[in-house]
Amino acid sequence: MWLSHPSRCLRRVGTTARTIYTIRMTSITTRCLILACGNTLRSDDGLGPWLAQWAEEKFLSNPEIRVLNRQQWTPDLSEEIACSESVLFIDCSAESAPGEIRLFPVEPSAPKDGLATHHSGAPELLALGLELYNSLPSHALMLTIGAGSTELGERFSEAVTAALPAACKAIEETVLQWLG
Amino acid sequence: MSQTITIDPVTRLEGHGKITIHLDDQGQVADAQFHVTQVRGFEKFSEGRPFYEMPSLMARICGICPVSHLIASAKACEAIMAVKIPHTAAQLRRMLNLAQMVQSHALSFFYLASPDLLLGMESDPANRHIFGVVGAKPELGRAGVNLRRFGQHIIELLGNKRIHPGWVVPGGVTEPLAPAKRDEILAMIPQAYADIALALKAYKQIADTFKAEIDVFANFPTNYMGLINEDESIEFTDGALRLIDSKGAILEDGITASRFSEVIGEAVEPYSYTKFAYYKPLGYPEGSYRVGPLARLNIAKTMGTPLADKELVEFKQLAAGPVQSSFHYHHARLVDMLYGIEKIEQILSDPLILDKHVRAIAGVNRLEGAGQAEAPRGTLMHNYKVDENGLITWANLVIATGQNNNAMNRGVLQAATHYVKDGKFTDGVLNRIEAVIRTFDPCLSCSTHAFGQMPLAITLLSADGEMVDQVIR
Repeated sequence: MWLSHPSRCLRRVGTTARTIYTIRMTSITTRCLILACGNTLRSDDGLGPWLAQWAEEKFLSNPEIRVLNRQQWTPDLSEEIACSESVLFIDCSAESAPGEIRLFPVEPSAPKDGLATHHSGAPELLALGLELYNSLPSHALMLTIGAGSTELGERFSEAVTAALPAACKAIEETVLQWLG
Repeated sequence: MSQTITIDPVTRLEGHGKITIHLDDQGQVADAQFHVTQVRGFEKFSEGRPFYEMPSLMARICGICPVSHLIASAKACEAIMAVKIPHTAAQLRRMLNLAQMVQSHALSFFYLASPDLLLGMESDPANRHIFGVVGAKPELGRAGVNLRRFGQHIIELLGNKRIHPGWVVPGGVTEPLAPAKRDEILAMIPQAYADIALALKAYKQIADTFKAEIDVFANFPTNYMGLINEDESIEFTDGALRLIDSKGAILEDGITASRFSEVIGEAVEPYSYTKFAYYKPLGYPEGSYRVGPLARLNIAKTMGTPLADKELVEFKQLAAGPVQSSFHYHHARLVDMLYGIEKIEQILSDPLILDKHVRAIAGVNRLEGAGQAEAPRGTLMHNYKVDENGLITWANLVIATGQNNNAMNRGVLQAATHYVKDGKFTDGVLNRIEAVIRTFDPCLSCSTHAFGQMPLAITLLSADGEMVDQVIR
């Protein structure tokens, strides 16, 4: 049988008549989740883990902020997201110009084509959290920095290196604004 | 004119594979092959490394079952050290291995296979994924997400990382279990029971609708191999291997890691980087066998835990002897998971589980060592040779997917022969042929390596597609 979830975990959204059930494996509701993605062995793709580590140290004393870093975003993260008031996704971008910082809202969206087994995007994770747990964060933003290189390597390109201070500032301002 | 149908890549697998189906002049299936097209070469580039680095190096082979490689590798190193690890370390490793099995099986069943099982083999390919499952059966989607996280979270609690934890080392583990972590794992267990019960019930409700697939999804007699305890109960981490024939008679028993290479050989085919394991006394291919959940349940007389034992009794009623259709891997996988949850709960009640003595220390006492364990997909064996300074001079890994390779190829041919008629096929037919491979849940990243002759084919084609030369080595 399914266990009823603790009321503090999830907020109901919409007007669906479906009974809401969920399981909390962690009992803490997160006010702000920072969720980064990247591979530290792929040059600029490692900027997500780098910024996650920066955020973890920056907000170490703040229990309202949770920082997670993954090489890939997988469907099991949907509950973490559904149980967070605000989510800031961090990734590098192959579409933006090298070093270009973008901060933009993310909306839930089902995958347009097939596979979603080993990696899911931010819109898909939001959609999955909504479908599984009937909950969406009040705020969901994506911060990206355009990658200069994703070749094998452990160093950032000059463009990304130069952009990191501004990205840190954007993260700090966003998080502090969400926390009021 | 003969034709070749190629399915490339085969989807919802761990790694990249390809299937080719060869048709004769009448458009009937003449042959079919499953190719593993990537090579990793871990055995070769581990040469020269200190043996104690091997568990961490070998775990990098795979992001799905690194724990199995950690354990088999550490056991091979312990054979070189000639040590027996402390009881608590053995129990903690057993729990880690079971947690990995649960999370890996959850990925296989819920994420990879359930789109076919719940939405149908003929369903819209654009919807055949975990999101489609969640849309159709949200309660099962939640169960899958929960069970995957159950296993991953235990791995993270024990090893401090979800993937590639460095906690398992030659001689034991690096740190004991903290009481708070034990309590956190225990708190997750009731929900895990609820989730696996839901999955078993749902599977049994739909299994009968796949009678046609059960008949032709690698449904033929083979031998089976898996780890087993002295009391004939299922085992994942210790014990010894048993090999049975297609009627259930024991071919070989008590196969320890040090005897593995005496009993098991590896053949090479030119179309795949994965080798083909076989039982030496029967030769290749007659000595081919299957490993993994189906083999484990065919071999075990008991699971050793009450709920899984009830499921084992029901599972064994599927056939008079060993259950032969690979479709039943799905069912066996769920029983494995139930066992894993129960066993983890049992291990946590061990009065010595919080003991601080979790590592044995020793240097090089033997120049060769082998270790074996059950990975989620089946038996895994690591074998190393070192020089007097402990540097690796030779390594060989025998991976579950290689041991299932012959059955996978035969299974593809069986399904293709049944479904492909007159050179015509539909998406549903091709999906069924892929689904045969999916029942085995192969890990293609793990299964390719450089040992002995590398099966490499180079084909030279003319502009109009005619082959003018081919080199095979």
